[in-house]
Amino acid sequence: MLDALLAGFDAALRVDTFIWMSGGLLLGMLMGAMPGFTTTMGMSVLMPVAFLVGDPLLGIPFLIGIYKGGIYGGSVPAILISMPGTAASVVTVMDGHELTKKGQPRKALDMGLAASVISDFISDFLTLILIIPVAAIVLGFGPPEIAAIMFLSLVIVAVTATGPVLKGLLMLGVGFWLSFVGADPFSAMERYTFGTTELYDGFHLIPMLIGLFALPEIFNAVRAGDKQRGHVTSLIGDRLSWAELKNSMRTILRSTGIGTAVGLVPGLGQTVAAMMGYIAAKNASKHPETFGKGELDGVAAAESANNAVNGPTMVPLLTLGIPGDNVTALLLGAFMMQGLRPGPTLFETSGATVFAILIVMLFANLIFWVIGYYTIPLFSRVVTIRKGLLIPITIMLAFTGTYLARSNPFDLITLIGFGVIGLAARKAAFDVMPMVMGFILGRELEYSFGQTLSLAGDNLLQFAFTERLGMTAIVIATPILGTLIGLRMNRLRRQELMRGG
Amino acid sequence: MATKSVLRRYATANAMLGGMLALLLSSGVVLAQYPERPITLITPYAAGGSHDLNARVFTTYIQRYLGQPIVIKLVPGQAGQKGTLEAVQAPPDGYTLIFTDNYRDQLYQHTFGTRHYDTTEDLVAVARLNYGQVGMIVRGDSPYRTWQDFEADARARPGELKMSHSGLWAAFFVAGAQVMKDRDLRLRMVPYRGGGPAKAALLADDVDISAAFPATVLADVEAGLIRILATAGAERTIADVPSFAELGISPTTGYMHRAVMAPRAIPEDRLARLRAAFDELQRDADYRAAMTRLGENTEYLDGVAYESERRALGQQYGELAEAIAEL
Repeated sequence: MLDALLAGFDAALRVDTFIWMSGGLLLGMLMGAMPGFTTTMGMSVLMPVAFLVGDPLLGIPFLIGIYKGGIYGGSVPAILISMPGTAASVVTVMDGHELTKKGQPRKALDMGLAASVISDFISDFLTLILIIPVAAIVLGFGPPEIAAIMFLSLVIVAVTATGPVLKGLLMLGVGFWLSFVGADPFSAMERYTFGTTELYDGFHLIPMLIGLFALPEIFNAVRAGDKQRGHVTSLIGDRLSWAELKNSMRTILRSTGIGTAVGLVPGLGQTVAAMMGYIAAKNASKHPETFGKGELDGVAAAESANNAVNGPTMVPLLTLGIPGDNVTALLLGAFMMQGLRPGPTLFETSGATVFAILIVMLFANLIFWVIGYYTIPLFSRVVTIRKGLLIPITIMLAFTGTYLARSNPFDLITLIGFGVIGLAARKAAFDVMPMVMGFILGRELEYSFGQTLSLAGDNLLQFAFTERLGMTAIVIATPILGTLIGLRMNRLRRQELMRGG
Repeated sequence: MATKSVLRRYATANAMLGGMLALLLSSGVVLAQYPERPITLITPYAAGGSHDLNARVFTTYIQRYLGQPIVIKLVPGQAGQKGTLEAVQAPPDGYTLIFTDNYRDQLYQHTFGTRHYDTTEDLVAVARLNYGQVGMIVRGDSPYRTWQDFEADARARPGELKMSHSGLWAAFFVAGAQVMKDRDLRLRMVPYRGGGPAKAALLADDVDISAAFPATVLADVEAGLIRILATAGAERTIADVPSFAELGISPTTGYMHRAVMAPRAIPEDRLARLRAAFDELQRDADYRAAMTRLGENTEYLDGVAYESERRALGQQYGELAEAIAEL
């Protein structure tokens, strides 16, 4: 295996490989920055390019570049115009866009880039050295464990919501309920669709996110007018300083750990990782009250956690030939088109090539830092656009992005509906984040819980205590963890109240 | 000097005129011939699935025989009904096609109540590109050495053995359902989000049996992690593995036909042109090589032959849906 690793190192050091990779990164970043255009869509469209070049060390790094660039690219509109380009960057909106409003968009983008690159590098490195031993763990997480983790996440979201507990719970419940709209995945029975075909698949996440986060911002921007326009440099703000990066290093490392662990469990995904990383950072912070009000640490926590997921998703793909989601399914196709067959024999038959790909993936992060460093000043100039121009552009992006996601005109109505809800929630001081999380987690929880019931058959208790101790342990730990975190949060709420009053 | 430059100018103008005339003429010829602009191929699936991959491959090569590119438009949703409806409602001018499968085409009318169209009447087959052929798989260390072992145990403990599948009425579910119907078995069907997670569930020993396209589990079979107990069809495809027909399971079960269809009212000559292009595609070595590497076969069936096959399938699926509804 060491031979293969060294041979892979040798094979990876090719100029053309790095050029293709850089091209992929740049394209991915631009696609990710386009709201509604998902990473999967970008990879799927460019898939023929990857197989026509006919060299696994060109085509696959190209696709992986798109994947990595896309996940980061989503945070650009999230930070600049409060419009999460992909679901992975929802959490980034909270502090990222606040920083933009404070005149620090460049700092936020820099932090997002630094956190992404560092966490991606570490998680790729862990993937590279641990891919063989870790493969066995991956299979230990089935639907019952995923359901338990979803349940735990839901409780943590509930207790850490900002503002009054009751409001947080209410929003979480609404989001949870919304996730049930549409045909149920087990019998295709339609729920809350009012007999319409438009709601058969339920609400789509993209219009919901854009509606809740971006439309109210647009509305506010219109009301505020163009008065506080200043000098260009005062709008963009400074670059990130080393001291600030060092300050957030602990957060980045913590989030990397969380993201890597989440990535190993097939089916959890970037959004869950970002949320967990953010909450952990807020919980560990000495000044948690600044989170959600433009805290650099918040951007670091979310961006490092969601990017750390990328590397480990390759583990089940390469060692077992199991794609966990559509992105890895496309990569599976790309590998096969190049004559590489992911699965238990891959490392024996083409170990050197696969290690080379993993090593290129590692180096890609360094290239990405350079690409990001030079494109961020361009991106951040978006905030200097006159509002009379920026607002129509943002509105256009909101609607085209929504339509692009799955070419469904009904989604445009969903977008406007959630925009109104977002505006009302803001007026009444309700946090929409628990609603979004309830929606995302609700679907997953329902599906994995349904699978669990199906696996367990008639006797759930016996199933839980004989076959699925992992699930049972998480379910038992959930209220304990929830109470501990909840108590801490309550103390903080009280402090804030005292300071405020 | 002056005459020379005038002459040269005259020559240039002449050449340009001639060029333009030639261009006009040639474009006139192109205009008269379908297709004169790119064709849209609706695929009613999400990005990244096997249909998406197959479509990306064949559209890359068919351009050589059509003279125009085929552009893929993903319209996922409502178990494929959204994309199908869009294809049915598209103008039947040959510029909108759909890349679908036999389940979306013939089964879902019985299971999902497709209210707005009748695929058999509204669509006509251009070509069946290829098919996926299901195999029933167990773990390499499973006590079931043969299909008979499995069937005996399943009969002894009805409703207790678990089968992982790729989603309600998706390819592996339909195969499992037809096996249950034909062999009078009761399995507990556990859904997963696609074939990959369904295979993971088998490897993790969460379920007793699953289904897969044999090409996707070859590496696992070699490594001894997975054993194939039976493959779909009338004939054996693997020497020592029985076919469905030998085991008393309908030989048409467990095939996922990937087919290109057009709105029924498409002009005859355009349909013929499309069918001819797919015929020619079959002789393209690059296309065949690419499909083989992808782990897919190139078992082509022309539009006329598939048109009659799909009607027979529709009838069989009606009976299957009824039988499963009673369970």
